Amino acid sequence: MEPQTLIDYTRSLDCIHCGLCLRTCPTYQLTGAEPSSPRGRIHLMRAVAEGDIEPDASFAEEMDFCLLCRHCESVCPSGVEYGALMEHTRAGLAPKTLTGRVVKSLGFKLLESRLMLRLMAGALRLFQLTRLDRLLAPLLGERGSALSKLPPVGPAYERRLLPKESPAEGAQPVALLEGCVMPELLGEVNRATVRVLNDAGHAVSVPSAQPTCCGSLHAHNGELERARALARETIAAFESSGDMPVVTNSAGCGSHMKEYANLFSEEPEWRERAERFSARVRDLSEVLNPQVSPKESSRTVQEPITYDDPCHLCHGQGVRGEPRALLDATGLERVELQESESCCGSAGIYSALRPKDAERILEGKLEALRSSGARTLVTANPGCQLQWQAGVKDAGLEVEVLHLAELLDKTSER
Amino acid sequence: MNSLLLHELKRIVGPEGLTTDRTRRQAYECDGLALVRKVPDLVLAPLDTAQASECMRLLKKEGLPVIPRGAGTGLAGGATPHEGGVVFKTSRMRRVLEVNERDRFARVEAGVVNVDLTSACSHHGLHYAPDPSSQQACTIGGNVANNSGGPHCFRYGATTRSILGLTVITADGEVLELGGPEPDPEGLDLVGCFVGCEGMLGVATEVSCRLIPTPETTETLLALFPSLDGACEAVTELIAANLEPSAIEILDRLTIEAVEASVLAAGYPDEADAVLLIDIDGLFEEVHGTARDVEEIARSHGAFDVRTATDAKDRARLWAGRKGAFGAMGRIAPDLYVADVVVPRTRLKEVVLATTEICKARGLKLSNVFHAGDGNLHPNISYDRRDEEEVARVLDAGTEIMKKCVAVGGSLSGEHGIGLEKRDEMHRVFSEADLDAMLRVRAAWDPDERMNPGKAIPVRGCMEVKTKPLPVPAGGGRS
Ligand SMILES: Cc1cc2nc3c(=O)[nH]c(=O)nc-3n(C[C@H](O)[C@H](O)[C@H](O)COP(=O)(O)OP(=O)(O)OC[C@H]3O[C@@H](n4cnc5c(N)ncnc54)[C@H](O)[C@@H]3O)c2cc1C
Ligand code: SF4
Ligand code: SF4
Repeated sequence: MEPQTLIDYTRSLDCIHCGLCLRTCPTYQLTGAEPSSPRGRIHLMRAVAEGDIEPDASFAEEMDFCLLCRHCESVCPSGVEYGALMEHTRAGLAPKTLTGRVVKSLGFKLLESRLMLRLMAGALRLFQLTRLDRLLAPLLGERGSALSKLPPVGPAYERRLLPKESPAEGAQPVALLEGCVMPELLGEVNRATVRVLNDAGHAVSVPSAQPTCCGSLHAHNGELERARALARETIAAFESSGDMPVVTNSAGCGSHMKEYANLFSEEPEWRERAERFSARVRDLSEVLNPQVSPKESSRTVQEPITYDDPCHLCHGQGVRGEPRALLDATGLERVELQESESCCGSAGIYSALRPKDAERILEGKLEALRSSGARTLVTANPGCQLQWQAGVKDAGLEVEVLHLAELLDKTSER
Repeated sequence: MNSLLLHELKRIVGPEGLTTDRTRRQAYECDGLALVRKVPDLVLAPLDTAQASECMRLLKKEGLPVIPRGAGTGLAGGATPHEGGVVFKTSRMRRVLEVNERDRFARVEAGVVNVDLTSACSHHGLHYAPDPSSQQACTIGGNVANNSGGPHCFRYGATTRSILGLTVITADGEVLELGGPEPDPEGLDLVGCFVGCEGMLGVATEVSCRLIPTPETTETLLALFPSLDGACEAVTELIAANLEPSAIEILDRLTIEAVEASVLAAGYPDEADAVLLIDIDGLFEEVHGTARDVEEIARSHGAFDVRTATDAKDRARLWAGRKGAFGAMGRIAPDLYVADVVVPRTRLKEVVLATTEICKARGLKLSNVFHAGDGNLHPNISYDRRDEEEVARVLDAGTEIMKKCVAVGGSLSGEHGIGLEKRDEMHRVFSEADLDAMLRVRAAWDPDERMNPGKAIPVRGCMEVKTKPLPVPAGGGRS
């Protein structure tokens, strides 16, 4: 591919090389290496575009090493759109990177078909029950560890899809994005989401035409064509539900759907539809009102609790205060987690493809969790939840990891 | 590069401590001054003093030039690589070794980031005073080498006032322990000599820093002026009145606009043409007294509003905006030339006016954000380094600004160092004899002139200087 098309050159010029983003970058924290920092990566992109270096394997490796957590974007005074820059570069690099190859060969197709996901989840459950997963994992080498870290897959009943309509009265009705892996691995989170929305008076509808996946994992990993196709399907599916808010309990999906327009820079009609759709997208924490959320704990939650900001919620969507306000409205004692805005290493499928790096990144977070003294850790994104659950278990910590929806569900009296 | 040497170096620092591949080396071709670039032959990142010393011995045997590097936020090209050189960086040496709250000092490795030192001691009610605007990124080692300043250095002094001791690796790999935790040890003040050396005397690997108690009360004022002139005059008078706030900063209209458009939007008002951002700290009574006096002076010079930050959060926001100002200028153009001149504080208004004229005459976009209390101006010129003709105009304006400052009794650099950028201007303030004296000091530490060659001291034809002339003068293009 031509360097000019590989790099979003115009966006790369927004970087003034000040370095204020260095310290926030997890991969720079690990290595202290300039090419593994946001400033360094942008510098390399610009050098490729200007013909000073080749987009060779080292270049691809540095691009692949990035978590796309966008912490750098949150602190950049110059307004560099790092996420968009990196997605563009990855799209061009896809055939060269590990992630790109895996995505191509296995195909994110998997995520796009409910049937395939069902089959996979079923097979995984079988492996887990027979403990075959422990035997299989080592055969897959480094990346096998991802397999053994997955939570136990529930029986088919627990993996049932949500009802199409869950009525309630008193607040604005909402449409819900069901998510791809959510129903298979974290079905309970989805059901808790519907319950807390209903409790707060929001009727919930789940449009049946929605594709299995919103395409965020495709976009982050360089599969822009597929990402566009999935975005079109998602937009069309939710257009049928008028202009009610589109709610998601996955920060990654939310941040991607809020930026759908970026995918359609050359298709004005779709761009416009995307913008209209994006304006409706809300994270769960943005629709629930702390004032009316039911309080009083009837079931037990171990205190103190703490909240870890998912990157795609705080850096991607600028949502920081809302989840905290909801947690504080429960009356539970909450402590702040040090560096709560730094990435836990989950980063979409990163933890599966680069488990060693993901583990090193999580180490610092676990240390912060230990020193916080929290007994319950709340997050608002499925990937982070799985990463934390595995990490807490490995470290032998007595900490329960819950999704925000689960915590609110547990503390509401019915 | 000699493969046996590489093998040996790798044995010392491990695979993560050494960067040889061409693509990754590209990321080290410049520091914060992206105008001058040169890809280094090798990048070395030792983990501690012992590794650093062992590496340096090997490099000495090969006679290779060494370019120390911290975070690469320097704005004068101090960390720009040299032909055939090895970038020697401290970014993996970042342990806080000791915080001694009773004797009020901390010992840190040189790669510790400035804010990380402050957060390591804040729970003891102590802090490290020098606070460059780049403090979220720059290293203590880089601060030492540049004798960096920062807004609060108005009251607490530049880095040199806060450094008690140093562990230094010399060009031949010797480990020197200079000074120590206790103030003023006997003998020549070699710590004082090293601070501000711009990497030309050795590599600092560990630093003992003075910590000071965090003041009981801090008040932050934001004075709004209809003109930059008024703000400058107010500062001149604050100084004359012997008032001692801890920081006095000026931001002009263009800077305010850029900051307000950024993630660091601080709530600077859009009706002001310039603001003064002032911190006053100390005991409660004293702070309030000074604040009243400051407000009065500001108003008498035309300030139409003086606001007080309501709480710690509000204060932090006002300061974060100020500190992100350089980065925010990326919204105006891809590059920013930051002049760093110092002028007598009685001449602020006159020089600011002159810089405006100089830039206007050359059709350049100028913004101002600076440490007014210290008379340390930063006329910032936005440009695009791809436009050679514009670059020439920028450099010409830079020279004119320096000339003007020297003419009114000021100097070339307040805090960013001379590096490559101002090297050739040194003769404006120093005689041949002065420059010779500097070379003799340098030769006492590093007789072969392998440490950061070609920086800070001009290469003069008439002298026998061993450094190879720099491939690119401070200006334009790749070498
Ligand atoms: C946004 C921004 C704001 C800034 N604000 C200020 C400010 O308010 N005040 C100010 O003074 N400066 C400021 N600077 C300039 C710069 O941040 C300082 O000069 C800083 O001290 C450089 O630190 P560094 O770690 O990045 O060093 P580098 O840029 O890597 O190196 C700077 C110099 O020090 C040498 N060096 C680095 N480490 C060592 C070591 N361990 N031993 C020996 N020599 C070494 C290098 O060779 C080079 O000459 C700013 C820069 C930016 C980008
Ligand atoms: S903070 Fe922004 S402008 Fe500064 S180096 Fe990082 S990406 Fe570039
Ligand atoms: S997205 Fe995250 S990992 Fe990637 S460069 Fe930015 S801060 Fe670093």
